[in-house]
Amino acid sequence: MTQTAARQVTRAWGLLVLLTLLSLGAGGSGWTGLAANGLILAAAFAKGRWMLMDFLKLRGVPAGWRALFLCWLALVTVIPWATAALPLLRG
Amino acid sequence: MDPATAANAAQEDRPWGALSDLPGHPMMWVLILTEVVTFGLLFLTFAVTKAVHSDLFAAGQAQLDPVLGGINTLVLITSGWLAALAVEVRSTGQRGAARLQLGGAMALGLVFIVIKVAEYAAKAQAGIGLETDTFFTLYFLLTGFHLLHVVLGIVILAAVALSDSIENLKTGTAFWHMVDLVWVVMYPLVYLIG
Repeated sequence: MTQTAARQVTRAWGLLVLLTLLSLGAGGSGWTGLAANGLILAAAFAKGRWMLMDFLKLRGVPAGWRALFLCWLALVTVIPWATAALPLLRG
Repeated sequence: MDPATAANAAQEDRPWGALSDLPGHPMMWVLILTEVVTFGLLFLTFAVTKAVHSDLFAAGQAQLDPVLGGINTLVLITSGWLAALAVEVRSTGQRGAARLQLGGAMALGLVFIVIKVAEYAAKAQAGIGLETDTFFTLYFLLTGFHLLHVVLGIVILAAVALSDSIENLKTGTAFWHMVDLVWVVMYPLVYLIG
């Protein structure tokens, strides 16, 4: 096993666990609204990015592939934030 | 070499074109791309319907257990970590260690299924089902479709643990990481954001 690759995978796992606990804490604390939603979905984007780069090994593939998957990830995290914001903005 | 011959030679080297740049078998990436588009559309459907029926969705979400969803996220993330380590270990020729890590990844996949089924059972006991309301129709559709992928992912991991070339491991674990990635987005969307 290349120590560097294994360390990178384990570091990504640690960050994923940390962000999941952060999301769970934010969601369970009763803190709601645009900022809470934004924080939780930003954590989901960051987690997805680490999975793509370190678990799915997209770090070493041509940039176009990374851009494609990151655009998908951005769409599925930003659009839910925007649609959740509509009823909140309406009051 | 004339341009036509060079182009033919390049095509023979890369029969799958740009897909050949991705780790594992390109056919798996065709499946992964299809799945992320499908789940993406389901997520957008859920998000837009939630904006239209915000009170109904808030009431439905209040009946879900975010802690169970969070535990399942930790379970899948850890499973994905073991699967990724298995590829690294196998690349140095340690077949036994790689199989052990794949076994751990599959075992955690089973834990995910058990927790999800327990969650469904609790809903059924409370009289909640697929036809209760729009929120729960989409909840069962999204999480149930994902659960089927978890089951398929465990079967694929078992298959590549038996036929354990590095290429097979990269292919099988790529599917597993896709299943993991989809859940990481689905969890906040369905359980957390208000």
